[in-house]
Formats: sequence, C-alpha cells, structure tokens
Amino acid sequence: MEIIPGIEAAALAAMGAATTVAELRQAESQFLGKNGEITGLMKQMGGLPKEDRPVFGAAVNSAKARVTELYESRLAELNVAETNARLAGERIDVTLPGRPLRAGTMHVLEQTTRKIKRVLAGLGFEYQEGPELEEFRYNFDALNYPPDHPAMDDQDTFYINDEWLLRTQCTALQGRIFENRQPPLRVFTVGRTFRNEAVDRTHNHTFHQVDCFMIDENVSLAHLKGTLGAFARAMFGEEVKVRFRPDFFPFVEPGVDYAISSPKLFGGRWVELGGAGLIHPNILERYGIDTQRYSGFAFGLGVERIPMMATGVDDLRLFLENDARFLNQFRRELL
Amino acid sequence: MKFAVSMLRDYVETQLSAEEIGDLLTMAGFELEGIEEAGDDQILDIKVVSNRGDGLSIVGLTREILAKDAEANPTPLYLRAVRRFEDVVFTAGNPQSVHVETDHCRRFACLTARNFTNGAASDVIRTRLEHAGMRSISLLVDLTNYVMLELGQPLHAFDRRKLGATIGVRLSESGEKLVTLNGTEHELTGGQMVITDGTRPVAVAGVMGGLDTEVDGETTEITLESANFVNTSVRKTRRGLGLNTEASYRFERSVDPDGVVSALRRFGELLLQHQPTAEISAPVDVYPIPAPQREIDLRLDRANRLLGLSIVHGDAKRYLEALGFTVGGHGDPFLVVPPTWRPDIQREEDLIEELGRVHGYERIPEQLPEGHTVPGGVSGRFLATERLVDRLLALGYTQAISHSLRGEHPLDAAGERVGPRNPGSPDAAYLRNSLLPGLAEAAHRNGGRDQFWFEIGKTFAPSETLTLAVLATGTLLAPGVNEKAGATADFYAVKAVTEEVFTALGILPEFRPVEDPRFHPYRTAQIGEFGVLGQLHPSVADALDLPSETVVAEFNLERLLAAVPPELKVRSFSRHPGVRRDLAVLVSNDVPFAEIEVAIRAAAGPVLERLWVFDDFRGPGISENSHSLGIGLTLRKPDSTFTDAEANQVRDEIVAALIPLGATLR
Repeated sequence: MEIIPGIEAAALAAMGAATTVAELRQAESQFLGKNGEITGLMKQMGGLPKEDRPVFGAAVNSAKARVTELYESRLAELNVAETNARLAGERIDVTLPGRPLRAGTMHVLEQTTRKIKRVLAGLGFEYQEGPELEEFRYNFDALNYPPDHPAMDDQDTFYINDEWLLRTQCTALQGRIFENRQPPLRVFTVGRTFRNEAVDRTHNHTFHQVDCFMIDENVSLAHLKGTLGAFARAMFGEEVKVRFRPDFFPFVEPGVDYAISSPKLFGGRWVELGGAGLIHPNILERYGIDTQRYSGFAFGLGVERIPMMATGVDDLRLFLENDARFLNQFRRELL
Repeated sequence: MKFAVSMLRDYVETQLSAEEIGDLLTMAGFELEGIEEAGDDQILDIKVVSNRGDGLSIVGLTREILAKDAEANPTPLYLRAVRRFEDVVFTAGNPQSVHVETDHCRRFACLTARNFTNGAASDVIRTRLEHAGMRSISLLVDLTNYVMLELGQPLHAFDRRKLGATIGVRLSESGEKLVTLNGTEHELTGGQMVITDGTRPVAVAGVMGGLDTEVDGETTEITLESANFVNTSVRKTRRGLGLNTEASYRFERSVDPDGVVSALRRFGELLLQHQPTAEISAPVDVYPIPAPQREIDLRLDRANRLLGLSIVHGDAKRYLEALGFTVGGHGDPFLVVPPTWRPDIQREEDLIEELGRVHGYERIPEQLPEGHTVPGGVSGRFLATERLVDRLLALGYTQAISHSLRGEHPLDAAGERVGPRNPGSPDAAYLRNSLLPGLAEAAHRNGGRDQFWFEIGKTFAPSETLTLAVLATGTLLAPGVNEKAGATADFYAVKAVTEEVFTALGILPEFRPVEDPRFHPYRTAQIGEFGVLGQLHPSVADALDLPSETVVAEFNLERLLAAVPPELKVRSFSRHPGVRRDLAVLVSNDVPFAEIEVAIRAAAGPVLERLWVFDDFRGPGISENSHSLGIGLTLRKPDSTFTDAEANQVRDEIVAALIPLGATLR
C-alpha cells in the first residue's frame, strides 16, 4: 500500500514534465500501459490477503483516475501547442502577389456594346445587324440623300465601286428593315462604320455606331427625348439631362442634335452626343408606310464616345490598337 | 460663317451680349463654333447646315434672332433690306445688254458704274471683312464681298473696258480656255456654266471671275453681275475645276433668287457713299425661271402631336410670319407659303420643324415611348456570338478588335481581295480577308511572349463573312513566384480551345491534316468545312518576330453557327457500376489516332461510355516510327453491372479490330 502514493507521484510528475505529446504518451505507457507501473499494481493485488484487497484496489483506482485525468488534460494542452507550433511554421507572406491567371479581358468596345444592348433591349428594342460592305442605295438613296450631296464625295466615303461602299453610318440598316417589315417596329443596331478621314487623336477612318429607331402611331420628339434620356442616364448616371438643338440630316425632319450634361462629366457643361430626329416622311413613303397613321424617331451616336466620356480615354486610335496596357485597364468591367 | 458682331448690330437691336447671341443662334439651329474678342468687337463663328443657305448672310441670321428673341428689334437698315432696297434708284445710262442661254441660270442681273476711282473701302468695311476671314483687296472687290456677307448674294465686278459688248451665261464647249483670278489656266470640258461677254468666257459662273477682266487700280468702269445659278451645276463645275470659293459655297447650298437685284442696289449705295461722283445705271434684270411658289398645308394639331408640344394658333402664326412665311387659314390647316430664300421647305414636316425650333426644343418634355409592345432583345446568332466571346474569355484569351482596312501581310488568306478605290493610305488599301494579321500584330505589339488572343469580326474574302480567330503562344499557366512555368501552348492546346468552342455549339467536327503555306506543313489541320488550325510556318513566325511555336486557328463563324443542331436531347445514363480498362496500343506513326478511335468504338459497341487518351509514348522500348498510345476506356451497361469477363471479351474484340491497322496491345 505504501508504494501507491510514490508511484502516483512519479506518474503525475512524469505527466507534468512532458513537453511533447510523444513524451506524454511515453509516460502514459510507462504508468498506465499494458506493462505500466500502475497497471502492474493491480496485478499485485492477487498476492495480497483477501481482506486487504478492497482498500488496495480502491487506492489504486483513485490514483489511476487522478493520473488519467492529468494525462488527458495534458494531452489536450500539448496537442494544441503542437498544432500551433506547426501552423506557425506554415506562415506565408500574404502580401506576395497571387498566382497569375490567364484570364481574358473583354474588349472595351464589346463591354460598351453589351451595355448598350442591355439598355435598349430593356426598352423593348430588338437587335439587328447590317453589312459593313453596303450598297449605295441603302447608305444614301434610302436615307433621302439628294443626288450629289457632299457626304457622298469620295473624300468622305470609301467606295469599292459605284454600287458598293463601306457604310458611313449604321442608319443604312433602316431601308433593309423597312422593305421587309411593317410597323410597329423597335430596332437597334451596333456596328462598324467607315469615313474617309485623316487619322488623329479624335478622328479615325474606322469606328463604331449605335443606331436606334422606332415606328408606331403617334411617335413624337417627346418620345425621342424620353428614350434618349433613359439611355443617357443608363450610360452616364442618374444625374444626366438631355437637350435638343435643331440640326440637319437628310434622313430626319425635324432633325436635332442632342447633348447631355451632368455634374459628373466635364464640369456640367453640355456635351453633344449625336444626331436624331423624326424619320423623314420621304423615307416612310418610299417603303409604303402611311405617314398619316405612323411616325417614327431615330437616333445614333458613336460607340467610342461613351467610354471616352465616361472614363476619360483621350485618343480614339487606342480602340483598335489592341495594346494590352489600354485593354487591361477595363478588367474592371463597365456594367 | 465668321462675322463681326458689330455688323449684326447694324441689322438688329438687341440687349443680348455676343455670347448670348451665339447661344440663341445655336438653339435656333446655327451652332456657335467659336467666339473671339477683336478690340471692342467680337467675332462669332457660326456653323450653317447645308440646307439653310439663307443663314450664310447677316440678314438671314438677323431674321432668326428676330424670330427667337422677343425683345429684339429690326433696324432701319434691316427693314430696307427686307424691302429689297427699292428706295435706292439709279438712273445713269449705259446699261449692259444681257443674254441668258442656259436653264442652269435662273436669273441674271447687272448694272454698270463709272466715274469713280477704285481706291480703298472704309476702315469699318475692311476690318469687318478681315473679321470674316476675307482679305481686303480694293474698294470694288471689298464691296462685292461685303454685300455678299450682308445679304448672302455673291456679286462679281468686271472691268467693263476689258469686256465685250454683251454679257451672258451659257454652258461651255469642250476645249474652251479660261484663266481664273487665281492665275490658273483651265481647259473647260463641255457643259460647265460660264459667264461670257459674247466672244469668250470671262468667268466660271457662280465660282470665280476671269483674270483678264479683273478690276484693278486703273478700273474706272465696271459691269457688276448678280445672278442665281442652279446649285448642282455650280457644284459639279467647281469640283471639276478644283475650285472652292465663298461664292460657290453659297450657290451650292442656296441663294435667294429674290435677292439678286437688291444686292446690286445695296452695292451701288455703298459705292456712292465712297465715291459720290459715281454714275450708276439702273439694273438690267433677266428672270427667265421664276422661283415656283408652293402652298403647303400645316395642321397644327398634327404638328403638336409630332413635336410633343402644345403651341397655340396665335404663336404658330407669329413664328412663321417672323421667319418670312405667309400664313393663311386657321391652323386646321394653315395655308403656308414659304419665302423664296427657303427652298428647303417642301412639305408639312419641314414647317413642323420651323414651329418646333422657334418655340424652343427645351420645352419638349421627356416621355418614354407608348405604343405596341414588340419582342425585343438580342437573340439567335447574335446571342450565340456573345456566348462564344464569354467562353473564350473564360478560357484565358483576351479579345482583340482590329482594323478592317489594312495593308498586305504574310498571314493574309489566299485569294481575291477587295479594297476602296480611294484608300486613305497604303496601310488601309485592302479589306482584311483574314483576322490572323490583326492577331499577329496584337501579339507582337504586346511583347510577342505569352500572348493569348481571339477576335470575332468580319472578313472579306471577298464577300463579307463573320469570322473567329485565335492565336496562342507561351505558357498556359502563368508561373507563380517560386514556381516553374507550365506547359507551352502548342497545337493541342489551341485544339482544346477549338474543341471547347465546338462543344459549346453542339458540333463534332473532323480534323484532317492539310497544307497551307502560312503554316507548318506537318502541324496543320483542316477542321470540318469550317476552318483551319495550325502552327505558324517558321519563316512566317520569323518574319513576324513571333516565337516559332505560335499556333493559330480561324473559322467561318457563319457556317459554324448555321451548323448548330437545333435541339439538345439529354440521354439517360446507367446507374450500374462500370469498369475501367487501360489499353497500351502500339502502332505505326503513320496511322492517325482517328482511325484507331473509330476501330475501338466499333469493336466495343454501345457499352463504351467514355474513351480518352492519357499517354503518347515514343522512345526506349518502342520501335522506330511507332508509338504507344495510352487509352482509357470506361465500359458500362445500362441495366446491370459490367463484369470482368465481359470486359475481357471487349478487350479481345478490340485487339481483333486493331489488327488491320497494324496495331497491337502491349
């Protein structure tokens, strides 16, 4: 009996002294294992007189319980410590760059086009496309240009021959739509256009346009203004206002130039965006549309202007140069 | 048109400042392009649109200001101009006789003046001409330019001593010659309108006078011509001769035929102010083709409906009358006669525009369209194209958008090219017949290493076709810090991208080796009838300064989209366990994998759920000109477990099927 406290003390000391889980387990094995000293005490019980066994057994069990309790709490404690030490060894420098991805960037013109499509589709307009290599009759005749209009000059338009040219405006789509379909119509298009111009910071021979038109009963300049207002606010922000001033294009009458202003753009002054108006009745009549019952509006603008105004791009040529230093600035997408 | 504001203030009394006048004209449809201080005067630069020739004069712009500014008042000078300066009467004799011999000239008038010295115009007039961008030359020339500025009517003074007995207008004969004021000798083609003196051409009508009838310091007698010419004739002639003048600019747009004689009178008046001894004859006026008078119905309610405004009868009448229209009727409809200086007014909608712009477009409210709902949105092949863009971006390729017009390039497709007959430069002489040049340029521009690009756009070969092209060079996974780079993008890497594109469209194309001079002769494939995929030919890569392992692909996207099967039908699949078997197929290098795949699929039959290649081994242990393909198979039956015995049977059938190809299993 007298040896029990001594063994218990030694076991507790060994448990207490262990600094690693391995040492602790070794101590556990030494005292509580199959051949452990405390386990061994129970075996000795058989050599004791019968009347001494219950007391002896109880003493051993309570010693065992105390040692086991210490073991378990030290085990938990050492496990935590060892895990923490291991984790500390796994520390990384979180400020190093992330592993580079090959992620493609959507071209800024595509982003702008998607936005235009979303906004106009949201107002009920249907997307269509016309050819870049266009017939003279759609680009000019169908749009009410008189013969010999200055815009038809070789100095302004790229001709392949007298009949075929590179379209100078996406408005050329109108004749193609009107000859096949009757009102009501709400159509828009986005596409590439060409003008014979010297290339510099604000001019290019190749650029892109939106063209949007609608024919229905009682379409007015107020509807045009409302549609442009909604479109401009979606493009440039809720604070945008729209203004008309009279202008002349052969394919609209009345014809207007529309401008926007916003406290967030160019210090709030009016900036012109594009031309618009009510579709010229000569055009509607050409395609057999009853001008007493129907009227329509049309507007257009340059696609490049939108990111130029919204994000400050200052050189039109950048849009077709595919310089990654430009394109990758639009990884944050224009929504 | 540039002009001094002081000149405008001779015609209109207004409290508005120069800036405010500029704004008012802008909102009337004459956009202010610039404003400049000039001592105690200002110079306005106003854009005049091509259908408003009447805006190319001070009197025309004054009219616009009077219509838009309720506080403005006309000056006596303006009122005299409106009455055609009829108070100015000349009685001296010696008129010129006039012959008009072409209907390209609607009206021709002239007067003669003598007994004066062709000195200098007053300082005021000379300064105002300079402000308008016109050089001061001599009294006579300056007065013609000044009156043109004031009234919009070009005038020309001939030195009468150098002129023949008559003056007239006709079309030229081919071969006639004329030296114009700028010293250029022109040989006329037939049909160009000229002013003659009965013996020879003395001026290009509406464009420029001749050198040998020019007025100079010695001139003491002039014939002053004022006429109205058909605009298309003047335009054609001046372009044919390579000329462009203030006079032709006005005639090409429009000049008021009713102002022809008023301009002569005004000139005479100014000449007398400078040279009180001058003797001036009454104008001779030949008006063979009077301007037609139109009467147009204007329905006010329709106008308001189209404008989105509520203009009342009284205002509508007032606006139109201020602009010089004659208005009868009560608005239901009004009967409107446009003034002679407004040939652009042809129909009701033109009048509606007049009402709107005078009333003010700022008064139009914003309304969203009301009308019939029609199906909107982006659909069909347009939507499919968008999805392809998204897919390629997700695969790590950046979108290029390149020029359509370009010069020649080693990656141009073979075949016919089209281009404009009037290109701006040799770099923009052709319409691209392939997207590959643009991608190669993009890759090169951005360093030529680790470049992954695609483009969807139109090519012209020679007809317009929507095309998709891809270019890859470099490592597929960008190396991280302390990591080795991943595999180089090779033929198979780009093939994977093309397979993704086809999978997205539900198409299963066939790849066959093909030759294309632009590409490596043994690393190029034809893809169905859609396009081509290949590694650049080393000499082409070299010429383009791109790595030799640069791989490109290009497809006819229209054909591809047209081949998309209409429906997706989902197949059910087995829930019973299958087995996996790997085969090592030893075969000659001359047998394409496609044939092996066909043989295996035929032999295995419908229990073959999946087949893939995981290894292609050449080297030690394999005879020359052979390779060992590691092929994985998943075998499964729809309604029971696949047993090993059944798998072995399939294996035996495959072995048999491979024998004709000279292939064996290791």
